Amino acid sequence: MLKLLIVDDETEICEFLKSFFEERNYTVAIANSGEQAIEQLKKEKPQVVLLDIKMPGMDGIQTLREIKSKNPKSKVIMVTAIETRDKIEECLRLGADNYITKPLSLEYLENDVKEKIESAAKGN
Amino acid sequence: MTSQAYQEALWNAARTMVRVKNPRRLLKMITRFVVREVGLTHTSILVHDPTYNRYIFVDSKGNFKIPTSLVRLDHDHPLIDWFSRRNSKLRPKDDFLGYADLEQWINHANRDGVNGEYMSRLKRLREAMDTLKASICVPGSFKGELLGVLVLGEKINKQAFTDEEISFFQTLANDASMTIKTARLREDLLERNLELELKQKELKEKLHEIESLRFKEQMTYYQIVSSLAREVYAKDPYTSGHLAHVERLGLMTAEELGYDLQNQRRKDILTASLHLHDVGKIGIPDAILKKPGPLTDDEWKIMRQHPVKGAKILEPLTEFKEVAQIVLYHHERYDGKGYPSGLKGEEIPIESRIISVVDAYHAIVSTRCYRKGRSVEVAINELQKGADTQFDAKVVEAFVRALQNEEAKKKKVQLKAASVQLKH
Repeated sequence: MLKLLIVDDETEICEFLKSFFEERNYTVAIANSGEQAIEQLKKEKPQVVLLDIKMPGMDGIQTLREIKSKNPKSKVIMVTAIETRDKIEECLRLGADNYITKPLSLEYLENDVKEKIESAAKGN
Repeated sequence: MTSQAYQEALWNAARTMVRVKNPRRLLKMITRFVVREVGLTHTSILVHDPTYNRYIFVDSKGNFKIPTSLVRLDHDHPLIDWFSRRNSKLRPKDDFLGYADLEQWINHANRDGVNGEYMSRLKRLREAMDTLKASICVPGSFKGELLGVLVLGEKINKQAFTDEEISFFQTLANDASMTIKTARLREDLLERNLELELKQKELKEKLHEIESLRFKEQMTYYQIVSSLAREVYAKDPYTSGHLAHVERLGLMTAEELGYDLQNQRRKDILTASLHLHDVGKIGIPDAILKKPGPLTDDEWKIMRQHPVKGAKILEPLTEFKEVAQIVLYHHERYDGKGYPSGLKGEEIPIESRIISVVDAYHAIVSTRCYRKGRSVEVAINELQKGADTQFDAKVVEAFVRALQNEEAKKKKVQLKAASVQLKH
């Protein structure tokens, strides 16, 4: 089963991406905060997490750190409007598997998710 | 709504929107109007982002909302590619992409056994429209440049779009493009103006800084020179403490002469000149300056250098060049027999002529080591004798008037004081 967790404080974005991936046969869970994301991660065990950075409370960086320390095998794709070099480098250093900036290309995002799931299945 | 009333409503809306100059507002109006009045499931607007040559969804309404600024279509996206490469000979009314037409083209191609690039293009296009749940896409161009695309869902009543409706969407799309383009041109212009303004402001600030530094420098120099002047007066026992009096008499004389004291600069020049006229004496040996008796010819030669020395000292006050000139000529005589240059009459600056009179008066009434100061009457008499030879007669006259005014004022004050004393 293809399981995906979408984390973004903007509900509209979560809903849009959820329906986009559901139409492509993914099972999608959503979280509107870093805290919720950690809970959902335990409950749903998604193969891939799409993670926003700028969120109130626990932000994407902290969430990424938490995910990578607890579930190092989960693939995390940062999805954010921030495109500064130091932010990108920080995320990659913390183990993010890709960094996609908004506005994004849906085709690219879908391909990347597919690729990450395949590589997870191979145990990488 | 009858078909005619409906169409009228559409065109009225189009006419209203043409007048909206703010692109953001116009785009919002378009999506809202299209969804509500035309009765579509949803609509979204793609706008060209010139910085990265890509298209971004900026507004969306209805039951399939594409969040603002989340999704972009790159220039090689099937939809953008399609509209960018469309045939320029296309009749304007055919300039749109309908899902139903696309399916038909694919069916025809299938039937005719067409394959390869064209077929895969059509299929990618259909996939893209599926993703966006689009029934028709209407391009908005300005002078051949694709500035945006109106992405429309289907009609809620499931009916096909009429030609009028499509033509209405085309009007909206092109109108929006024009508004976006003009707003961008305006923004560019504003931005350039702003840059220019900033640069000008910076320049102004720098100039101001230089000016204020210069002013500060000059003020510092003026203060140094002033203290020199005070030193000169302090050294010369007979003038000690009279600097303020010389200044006051000079200003009063100038006023009597009709000198424009309201002009702050001229007033500053006169005050500074009165204050500094003897600063050159700092370069005269004390033995001469303080000699308790008449000077020898050689000593006079040295003494007479003080206006030139003064002018030299004041040279750096470039903002007040006049002061150095005035000081240089304050020992010139009206008949041309003075020093250092032998100027005569009106050739001598008026300020120098004033100083000459005030200075002479002061020398007469001051007590020197070898001679007691003489009375005011004697001094006035001496000055009047020198009118037209040593002094400018007009200045002497004005000086005497100023002196008398001052005496009258003094008496008034004394009388007042006396009457106050009498009362008690």
